[in-house]
Amino acid sequence: MNREFLPGFLSHQENLSPLPQSTDVLIIGGGLLGTSLAYYLSKQKVELLLLERDEINREASGTNAGSFHFQIALHQLTANMTTKEKNRLSSEVQLQVEAAKLWDNLEKELNADLGVHFDGGFMVAENQDELKVLREKDEIENAAGLESFILTGQEMRNFAPFLAEDLAGIAFCPREGHANPLLVGPTYAFRAVENGAQIRTFCSVESIEVLGDGSKVNGGFRFKVKTSRGEVLCNRLVNAAGAWTMELARQVGLNLPMGLSGLHVNVTEPHEYFLKSMVQHIGRRLTLKQTHNNTFIIGGGWPAKSEIYPRRYSNLWSSTAGNLAVALRVLPMLKNVKLMRTWSGVWAFTRDFKPILGESKKVPGFHVAMVPTGFTLGPMVAQMLANYMTNESDDKLIPSEFSVDREIK
Amino acid sequence: MLVIDSQEVLVIGGGPAGLAAAIESEKHGLATAIIDERENLGGQIFKRLGDGFEVLSDSTLGADYLRGTELISIVSKSEVEVFTGTQVLTIEDSMVYTSHPELGTRAFKFKTLIIAPGAYDRPVVFPGWTLPGVMTAGAVQTLVKTQQLSPGRKILFAGSGPLALAFSAQLIKLGAPIYKVLESSHAPKLSEIARLAAAVSGNWNLAADAVRYRSILLKKSIPFKYRRIVTKAEGQGRVESVTHSKVDDQWRPIPGTEVTENVDSLCVGYGFFPSHELFRLLQCTFTYDENQGGFKVQKDEWGQTSIPAVFAVGDGTGVTGSYAAVAQGTLAGLKAAQLAGKITENKLKTLARPHQKNLQDRNRFQRALNHMFEVMPGIYELADESSIVCRCESVTKSQISKVISSTNDISAVKAYSRAGMGLCQGRNCQRQIASMINQKYNIPFEKIAFATPRFPAKPVEIGLIADGSIQDEKYFINE
Repeated sequence: MNREFLPGFLSHQENLSPLPQSTDVLIIGGGLLGTSLAYYLSKQKVELLLLERDEINREASGTNAGSFHFQIALHQLTANMTTKEKNRLSSEVQLQVEAAKLWDNLEKELNADLGVHFDGGFMVAENQDELKVLREKDEIENAAGLESFILTGQEMRNFAPFLAEDLAGIAFCPREGHANPLLVGPTYAFRAVENGAQIRTFCSVESIEVLGDGSKVNGGFRFKVKTSRGEVLCNRLVNAAGAWTMELARQVGLNLPMGLSGLHVNVTEPHEYFLKSMVQHIGRRLTLKQTHNNTFIIGGGWPAKSEIYPRRYSNLWSSTAGNLAVALRVLPMLKNVKLMRTWSGVWAFTRDFKPILGESKKVPGFHVAMVPTGFTLGPMVAQMLANYMTNESDDKLIPSEFSVDREIK
Repeated sequence: MLVIDSQEVLVIGGGPAGLAAAIESEKHGLATAIIDERENLGGQIFKRLGDGFEVLSDSTLGADYLRGTELISIVSKSEVEVFTGTQVLTIEDSMVYTSHPELGTRAFKFKTLIIAPGAYDRPVVFPGWTLPGVMTAGAVQTLVKTQQLSPGRKILFAGSGPLALAFSAQLIKLGAPIYKVLESSHAPKLSEIARLAAAVSGNWNLAADAVRYRSILLKKSIPFKYRRIVTKAEGQGRVESVTHSKVDDQWRPIPGTEVTENVDSLCVGYGFFPSHELFRLLQCTFTYDENQGGFKVQKDEWGQTSIPAVFAVGDGTGVTGSYAAVAQGTLAGLKAAQLAGKITENKLKTLARPHQKNLQDRNRFQRALNHMFEVMPGIYELADESSIVCRCESVTKSQISKVISSTNDISAVKAYSRAGMGLCQGRNCQRQIASMINQKYNIPFEKIAFATPRFPAKPVEIGLIADGSIQDEKYFINE
């Protein structure tokens, strides 16, 4: 069986070993942002410690559906396509194209099978209104350097005979793809440790004390972090706590307004492989792909019921029934395929939908790495932050619109 | 569109416990429905014959069949609504969502929910356990009971516990060619027999059954060997030979005692696991008892779980057999009637007394039996490095060992290795993985949680669950 498997495993024993007394960089959070940042920093020989309160990659980083969002998708749209909105979408596409370049090369960089596939992606429209949005999206993408094209009628049916015959039209973006979210974070973590990074799991942060007078103290440490497994001192601290970023930032008096939403994902039994490209819907919540384990993963942003940590968000019957109906509408052959399991994850986002990335001017030394489209953009923004942290905190390396200190409504 | 059906008492599972619960609750005037995933009521123990069979005389099909016929006929003459072929998908708030192959989704609203989910065979991993021709006792029983079909011409039965004897005897009686029976426990000691004998009062039928089963084997000259365990099944494409060994007190094979025999089928029956998926989905509180199948839902003397509206009865709540299951079902039905104000507390006490007495007797007998047939750790150490542990996703023991070096969490093992992601939803491999974690980290079993419970409780076709009337919110960003 052609199976994607991790290139190696962290040692549970080492993960549970005592904390060092101090470190240069302390990363809080063992999701995709934290582990990829640990990798890029460790490549530059930065001394670092990553703390995770559970196992690596167990929250949003490992529970999302693994879709790349290179083409514009429903989650980026608003009801009115104004010029301002179009400009926003255009700048987002440019960022997404950059992310695609990173993913292109990532399996080579990490020397591992991450289930990365660039086999294109469909975006379907059921009616003429949706087709209009599809055309606008297509125009923005091509102008921003992302190839995509639109097909309707017989052309559409010839190109994608498995899709419902009566769709109004489809867009196809050859660059679209997906990866296996269960492998990416742990692989980054494994390679980071190979480079000398230290990781401790089952270690939760209880408080953060800012030392000194607010300027960087030579020789002294900037932060004292109290954890469930003792104290650790550090010069620089990175908040990569995903859905808990806001909570952690309050420890140093920063307010980072964020929204949280539970997302629902479905997976089916294996079926003979035929669907190379991902399928999304421009007007309904749907992402649909066939993995190389031959299962179909069906998601797209249907809700899961929120719960208090560490309880996992509950899956709702209505989300499965609704999500699968949209999938069935688009891909009728799914009718007799069995739903095998559902799961949920927590999704964190900012109201302006932009990453929060960089160092706070209000609390020097305190960095934040948080991004709403975390799977697609996570590794790329982590790389940006690593560049910033290893190049004398050069402000030019991170777009100002991502600023930690900006007013986020 | 979703069809919603309202019931005062909803019973999930139409086996001995569920039938008894439904009968009792309806008897006291509660609107009651019973749902079961199979085409016929009866469950595993009272299992009916498959479509196309005509039963000329119930008595030829054995005592269990007759007991089943009696309870099923009471249900069919009562006001209990019966929904067979109905698979539970999930339970949310006071609603059970189900699916039917023709009718699609139906939701049942309930005031009291009585869950009698039954049990399944304890999966035991050994080299060759996935070869065609290796079957669990439950599967062989189903074949023989519903289809009157034997899986092979020469069947070796390997297992443990009272049911190893009962099953093999029943299978022989139904015409299955059992060649030899292996029991991994030692022959009963005098002290154990004495303890059992002391518990016999009130359990004469069970004791008589045991004697009858043993005599069936003796009459047919079928060897019954104590202290032997199957260590390997081999063959090209299907079982051709089976190797078994003598075991020590911990059920660990003793080197040099291997015997290889040519057979065409191997039937494996090392006791049962309660089907606790629904209780886990509901997040009920659990306890642990290895001899009753490991994790089992916590309940009081009436079967009430940590969620007051939810009752748990029968072998799916700790394996104690069909007689105890009927008593448990009846008690839960009575308690539901009292909670609904149909009977007073005093009346409840009076009506419950004979069933409680009955249950106490059964439990005493069961404890004595469990003591005699205690499950020992060697049973989880039979796999070799190349043995497949997760049969759905073909994950081997050595692959899982690598992952376990990195985590002691079954959910994480699943995420990193895919073990437990397949169609059986982890029913076959999780206990084996828990055992590997137990061996590596010395964590007690009751502290090793199974993977996060998720619906559907069993796989279901997309066409049967999809509901086009449910709308999404469309936009994620609201300006």
